[in-house]
Amino acid sequence: MFTSLKRTIKFGWQIISRNKGLGLQVVFIMVVAVFILTSLFLFRDLSGLLINEAKKKVDISVYFKKDVGQEEILRVEQELYRFSGDIEGTQYISKEEAREIFIQRHKDDPLYLEALEEVGENPFLASLNIESGSPVFYAKISEFLTQGPFKDLVQEVSYYENEKVINKLFNLISGIEKAGLIIGLFLIILVFLINFNTIKLTTLSFKNEISTMRLVGASNRFIRTPFLIQGFFYGLVSILIVDFIFFLSFIVWGKILQSWLLNFNLLNYFKESFFSLLFWQIIFIIILGVFSSSIAVRKYLKV
Amino acid sequence: MIRFDNITKIYYCDKKPIKALSDTSFEIKKGEFVSIVGKSGAGKTTLIKLLIREETPTNGGIFFKERLIGEMNSKNIQLLRRKIGVAHQDYKLLYQKNVWENIAYVMQVIGVSDRDISHNIPQILNMVNLTERQNNFPEELSGGERQRLVIARSLCHRPEVIVADEPTGNLDLYNAFEIIGLLEKIHSLGTTVILATHDKEIIDRLNHRVITLENGKIIRDVEKGKFIL
Repeated sequence: MFTSLKRTIKFGWQIISRNKGLGLQVVFIMVVAVFILTSLFLFRDLSGLLINEAKKKVDISVYFKKDVGQEEILRVEQELYRFSGDIEGTQYISKEEAREIFIQRHKDDPLYLEALEEVGENPFLASLNIESGSPVFYAKISEFLTQGPFKDLVQEVSYYENEKVINKLFNLISGIEKAGLIIGLFLIILVFLINFNTIKLTTLSFKNEISTMRLVGASNRFIRTPFLIQGFFYGLVSILIVDFIFFLSFIVWGKILQSWLLNFNLLNYFKESFFSLLFWQIIFIIILGVFSSSIAVRKYLKV
Repeated sequence: MIRFDNITKIYYCDKKPIKALSDTSFEIKKGEFVSIVGKSGAGKTTLIKLLIREETPTNGGIFFKERLIGEMNSKNIQLLRRKIGVAHQDYKLLYQKNVWENIAYVMQVIGVSDRDISHNIPQILNMVNLTERQNNFPEELSGGERQRLVIARSLCHRPEVIVADEPTGNLDLYNAFEIIGLLEKIHSLGTTVILATHDKEIIDRLNHRVITLENGKIIRDVEKGKFIL
């Protein structure tokens, strides 16, 4: 058995080394396929991160009346958490802190600072910023605050002003997630079909060889295995090429991309998820390269 | 050993039937040397293709050691083909492999060790005068050299039956008789030999059994025959 395996590996290598031109064509097509798969893999994680960051940016602010003290506001905060388990975070900003934030934001704008001086007393209200993962819960929270037990404490809730924008944003996010999945699946299927046909065509060039091998009494496994080895080898080479391209790209352009992608370090991400990525790439080339070769050769093995 | 029982083979070309063999019956015993002669298109190659199940008969049955070839499964057909060494008229070489590798392949299929392969192939190459060409690929060989390679491949694994389909077609007279001499030598060791040819000179010289085919039918079957058409 070991001798037979050794021979089939040797035959597989013979096919590869004696058909370099053909091999280059197959590797090129497989590089495209693996590149698309790897891009989808990275895109999935990257888009997940960006979407979560976008969700975090969406929040509502509850402004309390002037005479409402900190203790009451913190009680409201506790009640909110009991009311809804979908609150992801809250931030209390006192009147004084709100004034300081305003001054910092407009420190280079003397007109704003002068206007504040003119007013004299602190015009800002204490507020509570609330983050949740879904627009549905923002609506519930807003209703609870403006019509519930704390309605007398609340001056204003910013949700109703931004309701349309918030709903649109969440719809957009959901659409992107679904579209990403559909486009990803479509690309994978397309790439698989193109590669399968390429491998089928390259196997066609071995049709006469396979026929002769059958006529001298070679078993189907003895004939097929070298082609599977060939397919797997081309797949491994394509993985190496693609991973090298990505690695080099992240070294050269990583810092520029990082500034656009909310400080997402692509190089570190690539290194950390390398083995996971490699696992999926190998599964992919086994399905693509090995499986396709097996189906393509099978046609010529029928007695 | 080999029995053809009322074999008919019809090919279809543009839906028109072409009868390659018509109710053909004969038997070949173990250790016989049989020449099958006939003009081109008589059905010689069809007989050979049927024997190794490259084609299936339209009617009738072919038996190898009393086993019906038509009922053999895939695995048994592979085993059958290992027992029959065929030197095809159209060579059927492995063009991705050189001369040495073409011969070695057949031996590797039946599981011969690398050591035995390394030991036997030089002798075989010497028998067919291809020692100098062992590293060349089939497309680098002349017609005659390819023919000799095909012969070498058919006998390298010492099969029970050797079938040679027009083995001297591309050979000069000297090499042709060398090959025939080789076949006779193998025959003398007990191998059954089936030689399909239309070469009169060879047949007359051999003085073995001759089956004459014409239009797919056996018209003559003589123990020590001459080439008569």
